[in-house]
Amino acid sequence: MTDPTARRLTLGALVQGSGGHIAGWRHPDARPDGQLDFAFHADLARTLERGRFDALFVADVVALWGHQLDSLSRTGRAEHFEPLTLLAALSLVTEHIGLAATATTTYNHPFHIARKFASLDHISGGRAGWNVVTSVVPLEAANFGYDRHLEHELRYHRADEFVQVVKALWDSFDDEAVVRDKATGRYYDPTGLHTPHHRGEHFAVRGPLNISRPPQGHPVVFQAGSSETGREFAARHGEVLFTTQHELGAAQAFYADIKARAAAHGRDPAHVLVWPGLSPLVAATETEARRRLTELQDLIHDDVARRLVQDNIGDLDLSDHPVDGPLPDIPETNRSKSRRDLLLKLAHDEKLTIRQLAHRFAAGSAVAGTPEQIADHIETWFRSYAADGFNISFPYLPGPAEDFVDQVVPLLQQRGLLRTEYEGTTLRENLGLPRPAVRDRHLQETGR
Amino acid sequence: MTRRTGQLHLNAFLKPPGEYLAAWRHPDTAADAGVNIREVLSFARTAERATFDAVFLADLVGVPFASEDVLSRVSVVNDSFEPTTLLAALAAGTSRIGLIATASTSYNEPYHVARTFASLDHISGGRAGWNVVTSLNDGEAQNFGLDAHLDHATRYDRAEEFHDVVTGLWDSFEDDAFRHDQASGVYFDPAKLRALNHEGKHLKVAGPLNIARPPQGHPIVVQAGASEAGKNLASRIADVIFSGINDLGRAQEFYAEIKERAAAHGRDPDHLKVLPALSVVTAPTESEARDKLARLTELLPPQVALADLSYWLGGFDLSPYPLDGPLPELPVSNQSQTAQQQIYENARRDHLTIRDLVHRVANDDRTVTGTPQQIADHIEEWFHGRAADGFNVVFPYLPGTLDDFADLVIPELRRRGLFRTHYTGTTLRDHLGLPRPSRRA
Repeated sequence: MTDPTARRLTLGALVQGSGGHIAGWRHPDARPDGQLDFAFHADLARTLERGRFDALFVADVVALWGHQLDSLSRTGRAEHFEPLTLLAALSLVTEHIGLAATATTTYNHPFHIARKFASLDHISGGRAGWNVVTSVVPLEAANFGYDRHLEHELRYHRADEFVQVVKALWDSFDDEAVVRDKATGRYYDPTGLHTPHHRGEHFAVRGPLNISRPPQGHPVVFQAGSSETGREFAARHGEVLFTTQHELGAAQAFYADIKARAAAHGRDPAHVLVWPGLSPLVAATETEARRRLTELQDLIHDDVARRLVQDNIGDLDLSDHPVDGPLPDIPETNRSKSRRDLLLKLAHDEKLTIRQLAHRFAAGSAVAGTPEQIADHIETWFRSYAADGFNISFPYLPGPAEDFVDQVVPLLQQRGLLRTEYEGTTLRENLGLPRPAVRDRHLQETGR
Repeated sequence: MTRRTGQLHLNAFLKPPGEYLAAWRHPDTAADAGVNIREVLSFARTAERATFDAVFLADLVGVPFASEDVLSRVSVVNDSFEPTTLLAALAAGTSRIGLIATASTSYNEPYHVARTFASLDHISGGRAGWNVVTSLNDGEAQNFGLDAHLDHATRYDRAEEFHDVVTGLWDSFEDDAFRHDQASGVYFDPAKLRALNHEGKHLKVAGPLNIARPPQGHPIVVQAGASEAGKNLASRIADVIFSGINDLGRAQEFYAEIKERAAAHGRDPDHLKVLPALSVVTAPTESEARDKLARLTELLPPQVALADLSYWLGGFDLSPYPLDGPLPELPVSNQSQTAQQQIYENARRDHLTIRDLVHRVANDDRTVTGTPQQIADHIEEWFHGRAADGFNVVFPYLPGTLDDFADLVIPELRRRGLFRTHYTGTTLRDHLGLPRPSRRA
């Protein structure tokens, strides 16, 4: 194993008021109404900041999180803050932690997205991150005048152009262009203004953006694609990559693949951070931790279990299938391909029932154990190049987040894996990512 | 003139570092205030200390067309926070003041707008307001794939449908739909959720919205249209109407007309607040106030003043016309018809040349300058004269003119019993004395 001192562990936390586990909101120690409680989110953000997390992350869907009301009405996902407003508000009650959110390239316009993230970056002093996604939930299409969502390849094609437009808009002004010279009356130097005048296949955007260049140059780009198209996209644009990995070997393979692809695009692989999901549940003993996980799983209603499987496999009705029976045969669909393949393989290999599969999915990347065991897991994955860091989803909130910060973080710090103080003031500086120069954009575009 | 009971409503129109185009050059402003959160937060806190009903943020989704030379000499249109992210941050840094932002119905999707303002209403505990605009210029259109701005009638037609979709989305859940009942596992009651399934002329939106009904039921709706289409829309949908009228007689006519139109729509006219813009420079003495304004207006380059006049005339290039000649006949503006018309009327009435008009822009003649007593007299006259239910107070430069208003004018208004001494409610609706709308049947 090579010396890992050149790398440093980075951490993100998925923030959902009721917690990452689908039944988390029902846990007696959870805040069942935390989802729309800003003060609760503010406390959580400060807890994460105390734990020296690089970023907190807000996932998003621009629709209800499902249309089967019997199951949806039993989860905490039917209501959520709009992410950019939440992050902007959180920026005022925190000082260091990065603020990242999902915004879809399928049902947004690049001008608005460039502007909102630039604005968030200015408001937060350089702490914004944008998780670039293409929309996969059919309900989203119907909220934007479409009968169905865009086909997989087309979505990525649009996303690619979208990201290029957004970056060009962020680069409207050179860093030094906005001189604000009261004496001469020049607010900016016109030679430092680059109006994009973009005319592409999907968008015509004149620009310039009506805000000066973000403090980070570009807010940090997060990505989570893991299909072939998705990986290519991620390797080209992503700076922090979320991935679902359950097993060390597969995680190492994914890690190596992404780094190689990034290098093939002429990027420094060290500037593409791979963050598998991790859902830690800490307790004094392993038995106690496992017991707590089981306790959570038992809170999943049958309808929720069916829906969990259904939503991740395709538009297919499981309501007539016994929850303790096997999965039916499943047709090819247009959903996010990688997750579907993963689940099908899992169910087939291990002969799982619908409930068992649902529990697997609900547990996600759960690691239940003592603080030492969780720190060991993190260290192993980090040192064996399966992860540069983790996107941590706490099963419910706030308890498991506080436990992690109070019990696991000190261990990671003692082992020299995690910072004791933030390295810089921006998310980019803390992540060890370079600040992009305006010129890079032109080189990237012409060099491809 | 019959005196009115009740009190004024005051909005603080924040356009950091100030409404006046050269405000950023003023020695007492932070030139970067448009993107400086500490500055803007301090403005909002001052407004809250002065118990303003709300702060208000205007918006353009693009830089207007003007020459490079002119654009590079102004601040706000080039370099400002996006309003909803800014308001969310201000929500976390204030506790009582209302938070109103502009969002365009021409270049947005109603689902995003409904969600953003609902979210802001939840984050702020019921303090959000949405200023419905149809956008103004081709600089905006060309950021959204269009060559030119939509025509006036289409814009207003879409705006009305857009508004109805947004309010319909806010009503997706009944107020008591969310039970959060851990024991039974019922998070919300599905019988209390309704999809919108809207299919109209301009928009197709299924819904439902993915957030509980806002604390205010609906965030406050503000409108500023003063054209025929604008007045018709505003009197139907708005809780608050902004206007740019600065002539008492015309303001009274407008006020009466709006209230009549509201009644004709079956609404209580008291539930529609008319707030004309009022730009104020004040000081203990009149000459000090005039000096303050003069120190500001000398900072405006003449080419910027001329360009600003052109902009309000609908983007019409005035440079080929002699400065000492009259204003030429211009095509009807596809931007703000009202602004164009008002400039025209003033020019004809007072026999003004282009140079005179530029001079008026340069000298900010819309600003009321005087002692706190004079300002309060003006406000009182308009209020009791039924020209206004309050004002959208415009600050030529920040924080100076806001601080002066808060420290000098507000106490005078309070002494006269015209303005609150403290907030009695928690939501913007409470401050405005407006009822909470029930969910549409």
